[in-house]
Amino acid sequence: MERSLHATVFIVDDDASVRDALAWLLRSRRLLSEPFESADAFDALLEGGFSPREPSCLLLDVRMPGMSGLALFDRLAARGLLPLIPVIFLTGHADVPTAVDAVKRGAFDFCEKPFSDNALVDRVEAALAQSARALGALQEKASLKARLNELTERERDVMRLVVEGLPNKLIADQLDISVRTVEVHRAQVFDKMGAKSAVELANLLRNL
Amino acid sequence: MNALALASRRHGLWALLVALVVFLLALLVWLAGRFESSQVQNTLDRQAVSAVNDVRSGLNRNVQTLQAIFAGEPGPSMWSYQASTVLREHRELLRIEWRDTGLGIRAHADTPFRGAVFDRLGREHTLGDVSLACATARRFSGPAYSTSYFLPQSAGLGIEVLELCMPLVSAGQLSGYLVATYSLQDMLGELIEGGASRGVQLAFTEADGTRLALHGAVLRSNRVFTAQHLLDLPGNTLVLRIDSWRAEPDLFPNVLTALVTALSIALLSVLAMLGKDMRRRLRAEHGLADALAFRKAMEDSLVTGLRARDLQGRITYVNPAFCAMVGLSADELLGTSAPAPYWPPELVDEYQKRQAIRLAGSSPPRQGFESVFLRKDGSRFPVLIIEAPLIDATGIQTGWMSAVVDISEQRRVEELSRTSQERLQATARLATVGEMASLLSHELNQPLAAISSYATGSLNLLPRQDGLHAELETAMRRIAEQAERAGRVIRSVHDFVRRREQDRVPVAPRALIDAVMPLVQLQARKLGVQVETVCAEGLPDVLCDATMVEQVLLNLARNAMQAMDRPEIVRRKLVLKVVLAPSNERTIHHAGWTEFSVADVGPGIAPEVAAQLFTPFFTTKAEGMGLGLSLCRTVVEQHGGFLGFDANHPQGTIFRFTLPVAPP
Repeated sequence: MERSLHATVFIVDDDASVRDALAWLLRSRRLLSEPFESADAFDALLEGGFSPREPSCLLLDVRMPGMSGLALFDRLAARGLLPLIPVIFLTGHADVPTAVDAVKRGAFDFCEKPFSDNALVDRVEAALAQSARALGALQEKASLKARLNELTERERDVMRLVVEGLPNKLIADQLDISVRTVEVHRAQVFDKMGAKSAVELANLLRNL
Repeated sequence: MNALALASRRHGLWALLVALVVFLLALLVWLAGRFESSQVQNTLDRQAVSAVNDVRSGLNRNVQTLQAIFAGEPGPSMWSYQASTVLREHRELLRIEWRDTGLGIRAHADTPFRGAVFDRLGREHTLGDVSLACATARRFSGPAYSTSYFLPQSAGLGIEVLELCMPLVSAGQLSGYLVATYSLQDMLGELIEGGASRGVQLAFTEADGTRLALHGAVLRSNRVFTAQHLLDLPGNTLVLRIDSWRAEPDLFPNVLTALVTALSIALLSVLAMLGKDMRRRLRAEHGLADALAFRKAMEDSLVTGLRARDLQGRITYVNPAFCAMVGLSADELLGTSAPAPYWPPELVDEYQKRQAIRLAGSSPPRQGFESVFLRKDGSRFPVLIIEAPLIDATGIQTGWMSAVVDISEQRRVEELSRTSQERLQATARLATVGEMASLLSHELNQPLAAISSYATGSLNLLPRQDGLHAELETAMRRIAEQAERAGRVIRSVHDFVRRREQDRVPVAPRALIDAVMPLVQLQARKLGVQVETVCAEGLPDVLCDATMVEQVLLNLARNAMQAMDRPEIVRRKLVLKVVLAPSNERTIHHAGWTEFSVADVGPGIAPEVAAQLFTPFFTTKAEGMGLGLSLCRTVVEQHGGFLGFDANHPQGTIFRFTLPVAPP
């Protein structure tokens, strides 16, 4: 609940009153929202190279003048943004099959209008949580990369061999340095990478 | 081949007949000619006999006349006188002599009509003949004749003469001889009664045919009848010959032959005419047979039933098509009168009334009338009957000729077309209602969603555990509940009209087009539009709700045809086309897409109209509801496809939509 304040819900619907009502509903659950009056408007944002910095999700109306919700969904998918911005389709009753089809192709969920509203917000929160996870993983990956960059050449060599599970003695032999020096490098690597053991280090590197 | 053999045999028979007739006629003519010839010959023979008799009796009379000279014992002068008298009366006698027993001449007399005939030769040179005759006479004791001999005369002429010698007996003693010299030629002229008639030549000949003397006209004809008769005289025998050229101067010597010939010619010409007439008849018969065969083939090939009835309503003729139609044979039908066996029992009264009106003389409508007939198996079928009066060669009406057309197939097609039209129209109505419900639900769902959202949001914001707030909370909850209820109502209406929505099966694109073609053609004919369908072979089936897609096709085709219904558009052409769509980036589907297009050559779509084209309740037609294209798009999008339009070149509009290909 607390994290919600740092999340954004994008609402794309051609009907202003619906956008307004949804924003009101989300605000009542302490969620920030950003309305777009058409798929084209949101697409323009994407065209500008937008990438979310905080957990976000997209409430997308299926049937709209101009670009349809499905087309926008396809573009998001094409840009690989679906994990970061999960899509919840808002459908009229008639469009249910279309929406089901979209879910099969990677949409987070769909919701029939008129929706049972708190249930919708629950789904929104679930989507945000997923987004947050994706974002977290992304950020973790980024910091890991940054920390790796901080390592010296020699420390990287030592780390590679440590991860392979070699004892310090053998590492020292292979790198043609003293066991003592290996121990210093090893401690340095553990410190820089924020790992407490060789196993933890290996797990971190596997995520990369 | 057979006809050729028949003809040659007939020709052979004809030739034989003609030959026979000609032979018979020739025989008749020949026999007639022969009969006539024999008649002539007989006449001639009789003539010869009578001539010989004449000569013989003439000679006998002369013997008596000559004996009479000696009556009364005349003296030589008296005798000479009497002899001269005899010579004057008988031209055939040239000389009479009285000789003594020693053949010495005692007296003689010469004919006064000639000169002295013996002067040139001298009587003594002929003594041999005389003595021979006298010797014969003395032996016979009666007159005897010598052989004839030639007596030369002056100028190289001569006469053939014959000596007669009679012994003179007195008191039983031979006292002398009387010798008379006959001219053979004059004998022919004088002794034969009537002489030589016209066209006849008389001649004396010897037995070997040597002509001695002749009398009569010179013969001119080469066809001569000849009769000969012997003249037997004591001491000599002569042949009398008669030549006649009266016989057969031409082909038709007499009436009989002429008559027979004329009859034969008449017979022949009658035969020829008969033959000619026969040939003409044969030709006419052939022509008639050909015409009959032609007419029969024509009647048999007709699918239209033909029926002729006389003025009493009896059937006089039916063709095979009519028999096949009612399932009765011609024998069962001919001669039957009202009620006919093919009249349904329940309609007999009506038909009889109709027939009565017709018999009364009023003409049936030229375009025909519809009726119901009964087959032999009891089934009924509708027919179209066209009747015309049957007029014979003399211009008198003898009955009615009817052409009967079985229109049950036509009826069936009409029925089918009507059923399919009704079905499509019903679907169209349902689809329209569905589209309206869909639009309505969308339009109502939006505010309902807003209401519900506001209510829930308000609820979320209300602090808990407060009396007043508790009531407010209840009211808010009610608002949200009512909004949801309204949503459910709309959904149930929607469900009701969209019940068949999920009815998707694989359908051949061709079948979709074929299903709407009857209705499209109906309108196309009315508006003068030429419809072309292009549907490649081997297109895969599309996965769709056929009824709804048919609606889309029908709607688009109708719009296209209405767009072309303008006087300035002359060549109105509608093209329905199905192709396999290239991969379409606006939609993603695993099995590919089929693109249907409907192209017209109308005026095209103005930009301001194009912007609103799919907006519900927007229309350019006076009587339109503005749901057609909106509905089309809904249907196509429900299938996951895309509906759009482009300008058609050089003019008009093409509407295209895609449908998913059914997975194999």
